[in-house]
Amino acid sequence: MPEVEIRQVCLFYGSKQALFDIDLDIGRREVTAFIGPSGCGKSTLLRCMNRLNDLVDNVRVTGSIRLSGGEVLDPTLDVTDLRKRVGMVFQKPNPFPKTIYENVAYGPRILGIKQKARLDEIVERSLHSAAIWEEVKDRLHDNALALSGGQHQRLCIARTIAVEPEVVLMDEPCSALDPIATTKIEELIHELKQQYTIVIVTHNMQQAARVSDHTAFMYLGRLVEFGKTDKLFTTPEKQETEDYITGRFG
Amino acid sequence: MSDFQQVAPQEISSPRVNARTSASKKKGASPRVNLRWKQLTDKAAGVVITAGGIAIIASIILILFVIVAETLPLWYAPTAQPTPTPALENPHPLVVGVDEYQEIVYFATAAGTIEFRSLTDGHILQRFEIAGLNGQQVTSAYRDGIQHEVAIGTSGGLIIPLRLVFTPKFVDGKRAITPEVREGKPLQIDEQGRPLTSLVYSENGGVVRAAALVGPRTLLFFSQQEKTSPLGESSLEQSRTDLSPQLKSDVTALALDQFQSNLLAGTASGELYHWPVDEPEKVQLRQTFSAVSTPGTGISVLGWLIGGRSLIVGDASGGVNVWVQVRNEENSQDTPYRKAHQFRSHRTQVTAVAPSPRDKGFLTADVGGTVLVHHSTSEQTLLELSTGTNSLPLLTFAPKANGALTVDSHGQLFRWDLHNLHPEITLKTLFGKVWYEGYEKPDYTWQSSSGTDDFEPKFSLTPLTYGTMKGTFYALLLAVPLSICAAIYTSQFMHPRIRSVVKPTVEVMAALPSVVLGFFAGLWLAPRIEKIVPAVFLLVIALPLVSLIASFVWRLIPLPVRSRLRPGTELAFLAPLLLLTMYACVSLSGYIDTIFFNGSFPQWLYTTTGVQYDPRNSLVVGFAMGFAVIPIIYTIAEDAFSNVPQHLISGSLALGATRWQTAIRVVLPTASPGLFSAVMIGFGRAVGETMIVLMATGNTPVMDFSPFNGFRALSANIAVEIPEAPYGGTLYRVLFLAALQLFVLTFLVNTVAEIVRQRLRERYSKI
Repeated sequence: MPEVEIRQVCLFYGSKQALFDIDLDIGRREVTAFIGPSGCGKSTLLRCMNRLNDLVDNVRVTGSIRLSGGEVLDPTLDVTDLRKRVGMVFQKPNPFPKTIYENVAYGPRILGIKQKARLDEIVERSLHSAAIWEEVKDRLHDNALALSGGQHQRLCIARTIAVEPEVVLMDEPCSALDPIATTKIEELIHELKQQYTIVIVTHNMQQAARVSDHTAFMYLGRLVEFGKTDKLFTTPEKQETEDYITGRFG
Repeated sequence: MSDFQQVAPQEISSPRVNARTSASKKKGASPRVNLRWKQLTDKAAGVVITAGGIAIIASIILILFVIVAETLPLWYAPTAQPTPTPALENPHPLVVGVDEYQEIVYFATAAGTIEFRSLTDGHILQRFEIAGLNGQQVTSAYRDGIQHEVAIGTSGGLIIPLRLVFTPKFVDGKRAITPEVREGKPLQIDEQGRPLTSLVYSENGGVVRAAALVGPRTLLFFSQQEKTSPLGESSLEQSRTDLSPQLKSDVTALALDQFQSNLLAGTASGELYHWPVDEPEKVQLRQTFSAVSTPGTGISVLGWLIGGRSLIVGDASGGVNVWVQVRNEENSQDTPYRKAHQFRSHRTQVTAVAPSPRDKGFLTADVGGTVLVHHSTSEQTLLELSTGTNSLPLLTFAPKANGALTVDSHGQLFRWDLHNLHPEITLKTLFGKVWYEGYEKPDYTWQSSSGTDDFEPKFSLTPLTYGTMKGTFYALLLAVPLSICAAIYTSQFMHPRIRSVVKPTVEVMAALPSVVLGFFAGLWLAPRIEKIVPAVFLLVIALPLVSLIASFVWRLIPLPVRSRLRPGTELAFLAPLLLLTMYACVSLSGYIDTIFFNGSFPQWLYTTTGVQYDPRNSLVVGFAMGFAVIPIIYTIAEDAFSNVPQHLISGSLALGATRWQTAIRVVLPTASPGLFSAVMIGFGRAVGETMIVLMATGNTPVMDFSPFNGFRALSANIAVEIPEAPYGGTLYRVLFLAALQLFVLTFLVNTVAEIVRQRLRERYSKI
């Protein structure tokens, strides 16, 4: 059974429609990549999954997104609860202006965890999982802003998985990073796949090919093609997909 | 105004027109000309901006310089310039005095004359023979050191009062002063006709009181006043009292104050005898006390500071002290003398004392030929003037207090020009506790002027600084929580469309002239608040409580309904509730007053706690000045909150935090540098605010933190007093000093604020 079932999702910014009837299944503990040219609606679709679009004025979403059987788009749903289950890593690393420790402990604290020992354990585990523990273990109480860009992003991943979400959404997590930092994040995604369902939006098709199990190609707000990554990249069904992945447009 | 409005849109549109024309020119004109033009305008803009910036800094430095220059003379050390004086052939004058222009010196001599001599060459201008002597010898003379009045004591027990008058005439533009003596009727002090060896004399509105020694332990008190009988006949009523039986030691000095109510005698054993002489028929010794620095030494001279409230005591060992009458806290009738100030001692016995006719300064002279210049309020000995080694029995201040004159035991005259402009100002009198005349203990007081010339000015900046701080505290107490909460709400929770209305509206509030706010607070708000004080306190509790309850009720509305409501509905729901609460509190106020406070809170406050309720109090100022400060703090704080990067907020929300948690845990700390500067700028505004504190407080310079009392702020004080301050006077300069203090205060606060802000910003700069 898929972790997330997206059915007939349409999204409107005011009267302008941005997503058209998206149907998609995202498998448990798999990496699903959304690719497509800028403005095709990949990030918008991603943000539907944790209802972060609610922050934008005049947004209306129809259709259904089911997370482990529960309806995400239900207006009575407690979005904070949803967002604890669906974590997100942003395009631009956004550590809080706090210490490294406090950054990671932020989510657990929001959940109401107060015991120092528990927090220590969560912080250490999350930093380990995000493959940054060795680099920061001696300066946990330094300001997180002193870290490098790549470390920032891994810290944000650590922060995201500290609340043990079911799904981790990644919105172009490497676009602001250098190739070495990118490699580390990609390796990390491989590791994280063991425990989490990951949805990643990327502009980098090599990256999609390297890290993902399934790939969805979107164009102009529509899902053009969805399938196993190696199949989509080697034998795409649609002409547009082929044109895009071979670099003819986009 | 209308012209301006018409012109404005054209001006706004003109750059666009220019841009278009220059763009069209670009195609035609050579690129090089274009580049040169750009460089030129760039350079010009740079020069103009730099010049503007430098001009601002320069003018601030100039203002500071002017202020400092006006205050500097306060700290100039007093100087004395010895002035050559003519030699005199008559060696033994009894009293000495100088005219206002320091051209004529006069003496009462043992030969029964008053001599007026030129101070330039020593020749006798006029010699007046005292007619009332009738062959008696002059045995003593008295002058209070301030008035040109001399009382002569004779060998036959008489006192002859003399008034000396100097009439300046201007002949051909040159000043010529004609001295003149008006002799009064002789008064028989001692009916036995014994010679008066020492005397004190005071005449005031026909009432004469005097005391004289006819022997070392024989002190006589004399009083004469005119009595009008019911039939309209007036008669002189005299009374004489022999005070000798109460004396246990030889009397060495006498003093009678100008109010004719206190007679004091100093003795060879160092004691002061104090007789209240308000009622001449019932003169009784009230108090005997030791008044010397070293026990066992005798009192050698007594004198009054101008005003006749502070007694100067000089003793045989050289000690100089000032004693004041202090009201006894238990018995207001009992006003014992207390030592208030102690001055630098002479090395030898004090021989003479002379009060300043202008301020609370005085001179003392000693056996060793030294004159000391003191100032009582500031408790300092300013100058030491040396004449030689002869004793100095006579001493006087020039009437304008700009010169000192003394005569030594050989009849040699010494004179100094004194430059002693601000002797009352020291750091201690400005900021410390000072024991003023008529006060029970040293205190911080600001009271710069009064109706009389002999008033002791009290220039303590401490109560004013305290007032400024108090006003600022109460204003910020209201403004900081309100404006920061409002800023959080508008930036984080309010719908952008409503926000775009609310924010400019609050900003417009800042444009309200503070004089209007002060007027409103002082004349409209203050009397109303006085009536509903309990409601004010009730509101402080009720408004937040109602807001909380309202938001709880709001949450009970099912989410699907809530999400369909137009944004801003929650405000429409809350605002009437708050208004209703205010109305309820105000109308309940009367009941609360009757139930808990016996009908009137101010009365109740006074009877139960003793705290005075001043209608123009800190509460009113808190509201009015808070109102003035809120827009500033609000708008800067709101900007700070809005400038927190959206990706941080999204990051927090994506972790499952609520908007409130995000606001408190992420937005607030991230915005803290801006928040800090918002509060500091608000603080600066409140500190410098003048009109509101001027109009909404009673301007009483008291040091009391009660919210029900007024205060006087530094800024308001400057505004109130500068019109009355004579140019170059002490008050004038002290007001400039107050301005400097305000400047330094705001400068320090702003500097510290800026440093802290920079630090905070450094912490958050990499976001």
